[in-house]
Amino acid sequence: MKNGMKLTALLMALVMTLCACGTKGNESTASAAPGTSTEAPGKSTEAPATTAAEKTGPDDSKNVKIGVLVSDVTSAEALAFRAYYEEYIQKQYNVTFMYSDELADAAAEASAIDNFIANNCKAIISFASADRPAQIETCESNGVYYAVATGTLTDEQYETYKNYKYYVGAIGPDLMTEYMAGYDMAKYYLDQGFTKFGMFGGATPYYTEMHIYRAAGMLVAMCEAGKGTYLGASDMGGMIGAIYGAGCQLTPAKIGSVELCGYVGGYDFDDAWFGKLAAVANDPNVEVLLAVGSGQTAFAGFKQASQKLGDIDCYTADSVKLMESGTLNYLAGKFSASIGPIFMAVLSAVQGHPIRNAEGNAFAIGQGYWVATSAEEAKEYYAVDSSKTEPAYTRNMLDKLYNASYSDFEAFVKAYSFEEIKGLAK
Amino acid sequence: MENEKKIRKENVKAAVFRFAPLGGLILLFGIFMALAVIKDINIPYSFKNIVNQSVVVVVAATGAVFIYTLGSFDISLGASLCVSALIGAMAYNATKSLPVMLLTCVGVAVLISLTSSVLASVFNLPVFVTTIAMLSLLSALALVLIGANGTGDVIQVPAAAVRGINNVWFKLIILAVYLGMCVFLFDFMKLGRREKFQGGNPVCAKLTGLNGKRLAIAAFAIAGVGVGLGAFLTITYAPTLSRNTASSVGMDIIISIVFGGMPVSGGARSKIYSAVIGALSMTMLNQIMLALSLDSGVGQIVKAIIFLLVVSISMSNSKGNILPR
Repeated sequence: MKNGMKLTALLMALVMTLCACGTKGNESTASAAPGTSTEAPGKSTEAPATTAAEKTGPDDSKNVKIGVLVSDVTSAEALAFRAYYEEYIQKQYNVTFMYSDELADAAAEASAIDNFIANNCKAIISFASADRPAQIETCESNGVYYAVATGTLTDEQYETYKNYKYYVGAIGPDLMTEYMAGYDMAKYYLDQGFTKFGMFGGATPYYTEMHIYRAAGMLVAMCEAGKGTYLGASDMGGMIGAIYGAGCQLTPAKIGSVELCGYVGGYDFDDAWFGKLAAVANDPNVEVLLAVGSGQTAFAGFKQASQKLGDIDCYTADSVKLMESGTLNYLAGKFSASIGPIFMAVLSAVQGHPIRNAEGNAFAIGQGYWVATSAEEAKEYYAVDSSKTEPAYTRNMLDKLYNASYSDFEAFVKAYSFEEIKGLAK
Repeated sequence: MENEKKIRKENVKAAVFRFAPLGGLILLFGIFMALAVIKDINIPYSFKNIVNQSVVVVVAATGAVFIYTLGSFDISLGASLCVSALIGAMAYNATKSLPVMLLTCVGVAVLISLTSSVLASVFNLPVFVTTIAMLSLLSALALVLIGANGTGDVIQVPAAAVRGINNVWFKLIILAVYLGMCVFLFDFMKLGRREKFQGGNPVCAKLTGLNGKRLAIAAFAIAGVGVGLGAFLTITYAPTLSRNTASSVGMDIIISIVFGGMPVSGGARSKIYSAVIGALSMTMLNQIMLALSLDSGVGQIVKAIIFLLVVSISMSNSKGNILPR
């Protein structure tokens, strides 16, 4: 009897969970379909739904299912990107986004792509990079459009895949942009006369290129200011080679008149890791803490009042608060709507109007960060970035990219600074 | 008369419990097919997908049933699979030979498994304790291997090299051969009966002259072969390997075995088919969640509830006073 009751309770919990989720799922799908009673309020006011016959913009008459590959589902950046697609784009266009679970490795990516194809997704936008060539090959052989968001292919990969019919292209910070983000942040403090630094290298020990290039930028800026070398290198190419040569394990060192007093890499999140971060921040010599990413998680809790903190991350309510309190002083951040143009390129391709460059190949366009050095700037950026009705790229702006020429598309994407986007909106 | 009724009722109840995992799988399949029709899912591609997503866990978990039958478990199987795959990929890159890669994967996995069980014998520890130590050791070894290979954060086998064998039929043949071997050993040989006896009552087993340590070594060796084949199939499906390769496989093996109706305590009620039924059920459930567009967090909650439900049913059936025959 008791067992029966326990089983009944479990079954009821399961049924209730499934019912709740089923309702949620239906709402999500319904909201994506224009013209229904659950249509988003903002849709009719901003841009009326177009039909195939008008041919002036995206065809909203048929729902387009798009798969989104994500290697990270919990970071502030990942959540902001998802919110832009699900809470703005999905309500503006007749599209349904299907998200993968957190993808830890290449096999998980392959499974997620197979799931999307089985569920009739017409395109895949990828935020996961464990094995991009395999992703592109699978999409090409199954006739599914594929695009890279917030990143780019390596030169070698681009040469291989640029003429694939279903490879749409990539928009995001290229490696040069990453390098310059690190360089500019370090230079900002060096120009103010600071010479003692502590650094958090993020995923540098795991050979993550994005973080390696940012770290290299910081170190080259230090070499230039201190008139010294680090691992025997002082320019971009040499520094990147030196970092790889050291197995991506960086160590504190004197760089001429500048000093890297402390360094921590990796994302161990254990007591020892936090202990090392605290030791770097508590070093009385360290004037500035620099992070290639996640600096707010790594250093904000340990930082001394007299120290400065610079980070390359994204705009969130927490980062704005930290800037207001003076804990964070420099933020080069991605903005959530930066993934708007790649969505429009994908939609345009699915609806028969692929955007190709002058040679007829897939595009690769660099896109940078919004840099805030004061709380006022950060607040202004965040207000736009977090808006669900008037984000940085609205439907009106994105519609102009539908079936656009490559030069127009490229000019739009490259005008990514906050002021330029404000200008585009007008 | 009343006794007969009672016995018949008990027999029906036992049969229901015995076939509950299979019934669950058939039910999930039915739900999936209904959803596939309603939601216009590509059914042939989905079947291929289900094989691709479950075959590694089925192969590795089928071998692990031998360990679970002894009432023990191995928490390091996922890490072992990762290291075997990494070394297998390095072997391929050195020799350009797929058979060498296969043999290396299996050899390394068996060696790791044997190390766990032999260490347990030498130090007279429960085997699962040594597997916890092995988990840390193998995770560190994966990082060392990737670093030593000098190719960034991954070790890759050229996709073209495995494209020819990355098909459903090849995977099903490997699965059928290994499953056939395990069924033969488990259900038709002394080894299987002894393992069940050892898991059900180690004291009696010892008193009747069974060597528990030898049985453990045999079980771990068979599981090692499964892990090695799983490593080979992992490379076949996704030839770019990193420190995160197979990171979820260890847990998936445990869930699949329990989900398939295997008693957590091992013993006479252990079934070699548990892993197949469990892994297929889990994959089918994932496909259903996906078709329903459930948020991954909600999906995990649903899975957890179903998991508890299955374990409850399994436990309620094994609380009798009479030993199973």
